This record gives sequence, C-alpha cells and structure tokens, in this order.
Amino acid sequence: MSIGGSDLDKAITQLRACRPIPENQVRELCYKARELLIEEGNVVGVDAPVTICGDIHGQFHDLMELFRVGGDVPDTNYLFMGDFVDRGFYSLESFLLLLCLKVRYPDRITLIRGNHESRQITTVYGFYDECLRKYGSANVWRYCCEVFDYLALGALVSGAATSLSPTDGPLAETTNVESLPDSDSEIEIETLNANGEIMYRYARNSDSQSNAVSGANSNPASSSPAAPTPSRTGPAGTGATSSANGSSRNDTGAVLCVHGGLSPLIDTIDKIRLLDRKQEVPHEGAMCDLLWSDPDDIDGWGLSPRGAGFLFGADIVKCFNHKNDLSLIARAHQLVMEGFKEMFDSTIVTVWSAPNYCYRCGNVAAILELGEDGSNAGFVRRSNGERGGGGGGWALGSNDEPNRNGGGGGGANDNRRLSSVLADGMQRMRDGPGRRYRVFEAAPQDSRGMPAKKPVADYFL
Amino acid sequence: MAEEIPNLKTLLSSRRGGSSRSRGRGRGFLGSSHEGSEVLRDNAVRGTDQDAAGSRVSCVELGYLHDPYAKLFATQASTRRLPLLNRGTYVRTSAIDNLVDRFMTTDPETRKQIVSLGAGTDTRYFRLRDKYLDAQIVYHEIDFPANTAAKLINLQRHAQLHTKLTPKGLPNPPSLGPAAAEYHSPTYNLHSLDLRSLASASDDTPPPRLPNLDPSVPTLILSEMCLVYLQAPNVSSILSTFLKTYIPAPTPVALVLYEPILPDDAFGRTMISNLSTRNIHLPTLLAYPELGDQRRRLKTYGFSDGVKAVDTYFIWQEWVSEAEKERVAGLEMLDEIEELNLLLKHYCVAWGWRDGGNEGAFSRAWKHVGDQEGD
Ligand SMILES: C[S@@+](CC[C@H](N)C(=O)[O-])C[C@H]1O[C@@H](n2cnc3c(N)ncnc32)[C@H](O)[C@@H]1O
Repeated sequence: MSIGGSDLDKAITQLRACRPIPENQVRELCYKARELLIEEGNVVGVDAPVTICGDIHGQFHDLMELFRVGGDVPDTNYLFMGDFVDRGFYSLESFLLLLCLKVRYPDRITLIRGNHESRQITTVYGFYDECLRKYGSANVWRYCCEVFDYLALGALVSGAATSLSPTDGPLAETTNVESLPDSDSEIEIETLNANGEIMYRYARNSDSQSNAVSGANSNPASSSPAAPTPSRTGPAGTGATSSANGSSRNDTGAVLCVHGGLSPLIDTIDKIRLLDRKQEVPHEGAMCDLLWSDPDDIDGWGLSPRGAGFLFGADIVKCFNHKNDLSLIARAHQLVMEGFKEMFDSTIVTVWSAPNYCYRCGNVAAILELGEDGSNAGFVRRSNGERGGGGGGWALGSNDEPNRNGGGGGGANDNRRLSSVLADGMQRMRDGPGRRYRVFEAAPQDSRGMPAKKPVADYFL
Repeated sequence: MAEEIPNLKTLLSSRRGGSSRSRGRGRGFLGSSHEGSEVLRDNAVRGTDQDAAGSRVSCVELGYLHDPYAKLFATQASTRRLPLLNRGTYVRTSAIDNLVDRFMTTDPETRKQIVSLGAGTDTRYFRLRDKYLDAQIVYHEIDFPANTAAKLINLQRHAQLHTKLTPKGLPNPPSLGPAAAEYHSPTYNLHSLDLRSLASASDDTPPPRLPNLDPSVPTLILSEMCLVYLQAPNVSSILSTFLKTYIPAPTPVALVLYEPILPDDAFGRTMISNLSTRNIHLPTLLAYPELGDQRRRLKTYGFSDGVKAVDTYFIWQEWVSEAEKERVAGLEMLDEIEELNLLLKHYCVAWGWRDGGNEGAFSRAWKHVGDQEGD
C-alpha cells in the first residue's frame, strides 16, 4: 500500500490523536521522507518568517501544545532543531507526525538532526524500546534510523527582519507597562506567554534590557551553564497563533541553526556543506561536534562533560558569526529552565521546547519566531540549500545575493575580505534579527481526550 | 483534596507483616478512613525500598558500584536505569561509604556500632564485613516487619549472606522459621518495628528494647532516604530517644542523613507533586529546605560537636577523584548533563556528631571532609 495524498492525511489525523500508524505505512513514509531529505543539502536554506523549535524528546502532548501556541502546519513555517525522540513516552508518535508533516508540506517544515537521532543513543534512551513495545519488532526503529541518517545537519535562515512589528496582544498580568519601550522604538525582543500576552519587550540598544533581564534570571532552579553577562532568559508562560509579521532595515545577517553548536574543525558554513552526512552519527569529528557541542563561559575550546563534542566560548562564536556573516546562532541541546537563553551578547541562543522535561524538571519551554524582512520577498528558496553565499561578504545585505558558484568558490575571497576587515580593527557585529519568544508550559496530562497514561518520573528513593 | 476510600481487603492483607504499628503511634484513632489512608501511605513508603534496590542493581551491573550482594535482594527483574540515575546512585552510595569508611578506619581496633534506620535491602553490612576483616562491628538494621521478614528470607536463602550473620569464627546461625521477622547476633541485628514507636517513648512508656544495642560503643546512625518520610517532630523525638535513652552521653554518636533538598524551586515542586501521585510524601523536605536548615536541625538534635552538609553535585565535584570521575564517565555515554546537575543539587548528605569534640572519634574521622559553603 502506498502513503500518498489522502492516505497521508489519514495518517496525520491518526498520529495527531497520538495513535501509531501500521508498520507498512511507516515503511512507506520513511521511504518517501528519505527521497525528500536526500535532496536537501547538509545546510538547508530557509527563508523567514520561520518558527524555530528545540528539543521535543517524545513529549507528544507538549508538541501539540507547541502547535497550539505557535500555529499549525502549514500556516506556520517551522524549523525543528532535532532530538525528536528518546526520554518521553511518545517518541514514535512525535517523530512520525513530524515526518508526515514534512512529506505533506515539505516547504513548510524543516527537520534537522539532533544527537538523539542515532542508533546508538536511541538504544539507551528509550526510542528503541518504545518501538519494540509498540510493534513487537525492531523494524520500525530501523526504518526511522535510516531516515535519521538523511536529516540535514543545519539550516541557514535568511531574510529575517531586524525588528519586530509589535504584536497587539494584551499585557500579561505581571507585566509592568512602564517597562515597555516607547511605541516608536525598534523592538528587538518580545516574549509572549502561551496566551499571546506580552511578558517582556525590549527595544534595540535599550538600557532597560539588562535590568529586566536580571529579574527574569533569578530562578534558582536554573540549570543553565554559567552565562556571561548579559544573558537574557524568559520567565514562565504559555502561547497563541503565529503571525510572523514585521519588517524593517535589511542589515541583519543570516541565522545558523544547528542542534548542538560549533566544531573546531569547522570555520565556515561551506565546510559543513562538504561533510558526508549520510551515516550514523560518528563518535568524533565535525559532524559529531555539530550535534553534541555546547557554548560555555570559557575562552576558546574546552572538553565537553558529555564525552562527545566540545565546549566553545564567546570568542569562538563571535569570530564564527563574523566570518560567516551571521547575526545569530540558534541551537537546542541543553535544558534551559526558562525555555530560552541568549548568551555572548546575543550572538547565540539556546531554544528548548520540551516543557517539564522528562516529566520531572519543572521547566517551561520556548519557541523562537523570526519575522520576515520585507525586502526579501522576491528571493527564491532553494531547498537543497546550496546557496553558496553563506560564507559571503561583510558588506551589508550581501547574503541576499545568491552565489551560484556553489560552496567551494567563495572561500579565498571571503578570507581576504575578512582579514582586511580585521586589519582595519573593526569589530562591528551584525545586529541580530528581531526575536519573538513564545513561552509555554507542559500540556495538562489528560487533555483533549488523548490516551495519556500517567508518566512516572524516577527519583532517588 | 479527595480522601482516598481505602479498600478494606488491602488494609487487612497489608497488616499481615506486623503488629508493631499498634505499639503506640502516640495518637488515638482518628476514624477508620484516616487510619486507612495512613496504611496506604505506609505501604507506599515500604515499597520505596525496591526502588532503591533496583537502582543499586542497575549500578552494579554496569560497573558503577562493586556490590556482590545487591542482586540477591532485588525482587524485580533488573531494569537498567538511565545513565543519570546510575550516576546519582553511584554518588549517593559512595558518599555514604566514604563517611562510613572514615569511621571504620579511625581507631580500627575498637568496637564500632552502626544503626541503619529504614535499612530495607541495603547491603552495607555485608560489604563492610568483606572490607574490614578484623573489625568488630555491631550492626543494626531497622525496618517495617514486612521488609525485615522479606530480608530475612533472603539472608537464609543465600549462603554468602547466611555465613556472615555471626561473628567470624562462630558457627552459622540456626535457620529461622518462615514467619520470622527479627534476627539477633552479636554482630548483626535486624529489628522489625515502626520507627515511629520510638517517637512516643516517655518516662512511663520506655521505647522498645533493641537487643544487642550497646550503649557504650561509638555509634553511627544512618538514615539513607528514611527519616525523610516521617513528620519532623517525630524525627526529632526518635533522635532524642537514641541520644538520651539508647546511647546516652558520653558515648560518641553521629547521624548521617541522605535526603532531598530545595523543595521550592520548579524541580522541587515537580518532585513533590510527582511523588504524591505515588502516595509518597516527604515531610522533612519541607521542614529543612536548604543545607543550612539541615545543619541547624542536626545541632538541635544534640549533635553539638560538628555538623556538615553538602549536596550531591558538590560531592561529585569535590569528593570524587579525577581518576575515578574518568572511570565512571567512561561507563556510559551520559547526555543528560543539565538534568543530572539539577538532580544532584536536589539531594544532600548531612552529618553531625556528639563525641566531646577535638579528640573524639567522629571529630577525627571527619576532620578532613569538606563542608559546602552557603547557608
Ligand atoms: C527508600 S528506602 C531506603 C532503603 C535503604 N536505606 C537504602 O538507602 O537503600 C526507605 C526505607 O525506609 C523504611 N521506613 C520508612 N519509614 C519507616 C518507619 N516509620 N519505620 C521503619 N522503617 C521505615 C521503608 O520501609 C524503606 O525500607
């Protein structure tokens, strides 16, 4: 039997109800997905507006909550930064639903690989056992793992607006009107709760940022790595539907999305494009690092306590962003109690989308919306991601010029420009895109009549 | 909150093990429904021992801990725990081992007494016997009758346990009847009782007699996830019974606690609500939320010569050698770093002692064990 057209819609309906689809449909779906993913480059090109999401980890009901808060597919354009499976009780339903949506609306949803999308990790952290339990054999796990091997390693978002056009949502109860910037100022960051109410709003370069930020940072449960100042985190809340609106100056660089972070073996995005990704995640090397590394408050590179990947400091991020004409790196991979956390003068952000992680951590989740820059409207998206210009110029807006020479050609040129820039002693960083965070809590367990067996979290007893 | 309606049949069968509940809980009957829900709670608390046993087995099988006895007690088929739980169990067990070892090796030739409250299926006694061949240990374990009876069955079933119940050189103990819940020898004692019966002791009603408990031997009392299930005033009375009645001054006595802390942050609140769905409640967690509260409570009990408290994150960082960290880190790929740190920061080891200070046994034993900053 084949899974196309109405069958696909049926499968989506069934999965949305948190019911697994039959094994033969999974096989078909995975085959279709692979055909689609194989066409994508290692770094997928994505145009704003887009909603960027972090780890899901099989928390199916919270994924539904995410769609409620962020808007449904295909109305909202989504980018999921990996770790769909493991830990939660519904890895299978979560991943298959995302995969169905990918096959059904390939241009409205982008999936990139997380470190849990691997054979080895899923045998330890639950997905393998879950497949065995739900199907009685490891076949479905095997089909999914074959899809994992084809997932892209990163995404490059271009055309994001530098400032948000403010939502006209009401203020959250706790928000102080006085603390909001003037209505004519450029909004850089806005944080909304799950009801679409404004919790925080920061104007670009405003002084009030650091104040408001430290207030939100006082959660003693924060597990975040020690952050250099200033770091911004959002407090608890929950979401509304997406209207990725906004337009402004066109001088923001692109946004690189990866699951983990950077690699000492990778200094340009083009080098990511050259990797051979269609394999199990290796134990070391560039591909491993992209999926495993973490930013940390250190200089340069450090050893990771995870035993794979590296730690990297602010200098590494700033240099990488500068060299690659990025204004921001968005990544996931680390639990953040407040749902998101900006570090290193907002050059990198962690987005975490699994609320009450493992039904134990008590954290809130977030998604990041980047608005569309009006001037980008005519750009043609190339879904294989071979845009080539990602490592391109220092000149403002040059990332909008597709460089048809492809990956290899631009390197020497880039370096020359970069070194002349550095020689001039200019250290100007790109302004980041306007960022709208929607923060949400875990879905109520027995919501919407779905089969939600009560999860039990382990403690030391 | 809706009061559970107890199923009388379960109540009856759960009483099978013991009569000690009636040995005075210091309270009158508050109506059968209230009494019923208390029984359900006690059953839930008794059941926590198999959680601990299972975690221990998982750690042993993966090489975190060396413990040839753990498996002999676990009733459930061994299930591999997540790497972060294994790491946490490793830290818990080796931290307490560290404090106990320092006690054992201070004046090694003198007799030493250890009382394990809510010992469950803990194997520490047997491990100590293997490790300190010449030590003179008087070991006591206390738990609910149902748990001690189950333990006793295993003690008799396995020769490697059975032969260690008496001091070296003495003949094996005779086998006991299947209904036995208590065991006594000069070196190992299993007492079946509800600890709360120690709380209600007064001049008129002395506390239950604990055979072979020696009032003159330096005594280390262990509560590894046990007293946390009791009400704070009860715990206070139980310790008063130990410090004043069972082991009066000037005999050195110390208490080592392992229990959760930080109930008020997001993780702590979630823990409390998750456990309450299993009918497990942690009264002293709320009473002593932070390390400083733990230190103060130990002082109030009468451990006047020293108190220290550290969280298990600190223990992993500061007590575990680099070589050992590397060995442990190599056992399993651990992807849950943030969650692990969060978890480790929510459990503590707190210990205090009364030994006359300075030259006292515990003061010397634990002189070089670092305390954590913060109140
Ligand atoms: C979580 S287990 C810990 C077992 C052991 N200490 C360990 O760490 O492996 C708690 C134990 O305390 C016992 N316990 C709790 N309250 C008790 C009470 N009031 N009287 C006797 N035992 C009690 C339970 O039956 C259970 O065996």
